[in-house]
Amino acid sequence: MNALQPRIRILWVGRAIISAGIVGGVGYAAAMYADVPVEWPIAIAGLLLVVGVLHALLRYRNWRYEIREDSLYLERGVLTEVRTAVPLVRIQHVDSRRSALERLVGLASTVVYTAGSRGADVRIPGLTPDDASALRERLKRLAIEADGEDAV
Amino acid sequence: MKLSPISVPYRAVQKSGSLLFILVFVGSTGSSGFGGPLLALAAFAVLAVSIGYELLYYRRFSYELTADTLDLSSGVFNRREREIPYGRIQNVDVSQNIIQRALGIAAVNVETAGGGSTEAVIRYVSAETAETLQTDVRDRKRGRDRREGASADEPAAEPEALFSIEPSELALVGVLSFDPRVPGAILALLTGSVPFVSPILPGDVSGIGLTVLIIVVGVAVIGLSWIVGAISAVVNYWGFRLTQTEDELQYERGLVQRYSGTIPFDKVQTVTIEDNPLKRRFGYATLGVETAGYAPGQANGKGSEAAVPLASVDRVHRLAHELEAFGEPEFTRPPKRIRRRYAVRYLLAIGALTAIAFAITRFYSIPFPWYVPIGAAVLTPIAAHYKWLHRGYWLGEDHFVARSGFWNREAKVVPYYRIQTVIDTRTIFQRRWNVGTVVADTAGSLSVLGSDAAALDIDRADVERIREELTDRLQASLEERRRDRKPASGFAWIDTVEDPALPNPVDFDSLTPAITAAGSEDADRSPDSTKTDRSPDSPKADRSSDSPKADRSSDSTDSDQPDRAEE
Repeated sequence: MNALQPRIRILWVGRAIISAGIVGGVGYAAAMYADVPVEWPIAIAGLLLVVGVLHALLRYRNWRYEIREDSLYLERGVLTEVRTAVPLVRIQHVDSRRSALERLVGLASTVVYTAGSRGADVRIPGLTPDDASALRERLKRLAIEADGEDAV
Repeated sequence: MKLSPISVPYRAVQKSGSLLFILVFVGSTGSSGFGGPLLALAAFAVLAVSIGYELLYYRRFSYELTADTLDLSSGVFNRREREIPYGRIQNVDVSQNIIQRALGIAAVNVETAGGGSTEAVIRYVSAETAETLQTDVRDRKRGRDRREGASADEPAAEPEALFSIEPSELALVGVLSFDPRVPGAILALLTGSVPFVSPILPGDVSGIGLTVLIIVVGVAVIGLSWIVGAISAVVNYWGFRLTQTEDELQYERGLVQRYSGTIPFDKVQTVTIEDNPLKRRFGYATLGVETAGYAPGQANGKGSEAAVPLASVDRVHRLAHELEAFGEPEFTRPPKRIRRRYAVRYLLAIGALTAIAFAITRFYSIPFPWYVPIGAAVLTPIAAHYKWLHRGYWLGEDHFVARSGFWNREAKVVPYYRIQTVIDTRTIFQRRWNVGTVVADTAGSLSVLGSDAAALDIDRADVERIREELTDRLQASLEERRRDRKPASGFAWIDTVEDPALPNPVDFDSLTPAITAAGSEDADRSPDSTKTDRSPDSPKADRSSDSPKADRSSDSTDSDQPDRAEE
């Protein structure tokens, strides 16, 4: 089972900090305006920060993926543990992509698309750019091999 | 081929209709500074422009049935050319509303899998053309499938009547229909009008009076939504008919708006049988058929266009087996302990309701008996038991069947070869009870609403097993289908290996390290080595190297393939 790049934690923890900061800022301004003790929004933001950071770290710890004989298998989730098996025959197409934030920490992700309705796109974040494109190529080849003549 | 000429004025009026209506409305009030002639001129201009546009649209729009594809070219400002292979067409639907029926035109929608919208919209052709288009596409599809066999020239088999709704069944559909949108709309209306209504109410409303008032309003709301539901159901399913040709299901329904369409059997994703205590009491059930295409003009907002709204249980089961021969399911239920969880869940919901009622009565100081909802707590053990009783899954010979629902019981039949992904989830609460959920995702459109075929709350030990089992059976059934198809299709790459004279064009061993290196974490790899383009030949080569597998028994999918497996 492969883990994600540890650097993804920077991204996820950073995201948690920023959203806690926004909530805190807005709450602070609102409290000033409404004449409510400012300790309240600060406490809420602090709690959000702790929960968010913890969630991000656990999320990284629980993320696993591997390519099995005939499927792509993923394990993830903190509160709800999710395990997904994407049969290689069902792969419609594969993307590797880098968002602006991902580029900032030098990461990329690979997205696998199926014709399904719920698990229609499966994203593997936290890969190095090389790994992401290698994974894309490999999944593409395996999908062609698996010969999904009628992928629907 | 062209659209029907009548479509030009019809589309023009349809598109500019609302604008014209506003103009007429403004003109009729007459209070504004606009004079009548000016308005008439504006209306005329709007109509002229839209007729002009529709004329251009008519001139640009053309469709053609070629040997392999349905070609469409359209667009006034943005041109669009499309070729839809017959093999990818999920269904062809024809619909006519009452005005279109009077004019003798019909709209044709061509659905393919994927995407949330209709692939090709042909608005409008004459009703006869629509029908011929439907049958032509079907014939060409069949012709394409059997080009080798000379049966393409054979006339289409006479459709066999599968189902047609009886008047008594239609009446029952109406009686059992309930439009849930009506209470919502009324509630929204009421909450908006409370400030206006409350002063009118007599000031000295006693607790009993208010309770009676609430009950009366509630009964009225339920009655109204029931009537609305009944009317819309009867209008929707008027003259419902299902017919079956050799490889297709055809349906027809509707009183005001007439729908007809075809569903190829090989595009059917899941079959759903639904009932509730009322239907069970009278021995009826509902059948849904789901395809991967986006379904237009659905009754009650669901995506299954060939749903049999109501029929006796026997007929529904016969029809369901006609579509998918899944046998007699024996459901495995979740562990019994889970009933306590359901009971707790219901109790929590009742508690929340009571709390809200309490808060409202306190806040507005209304003497309403807020403790009324607590009475429902008596029913929780029964509800929890039935919820548990109805949940279950079954792994059949070729099908996965999952059932759930406390009131509306729904059994979903998924052929293994239709499974797209297998997902198992365990929420934090499920982990406490040591259970999990396995979802077999399909390409159906119904499941967008969240009703996938899922084995809910099954024991943790089973979760793992069933997930593995489902993926394995998917592989096995794909293997089987491929084997079955092999003699029919002229596909070459399995057969060529059997030919000893054929040299292996690519050295397979030299590829293996590259494949394993590509995904592993620490293998040194230059960007070039992964980007090497070997797609034209190598898949074929790889396929032929391990293709003997295809000729072994289906359990060979379990065997190790070192080149793919990775720990």
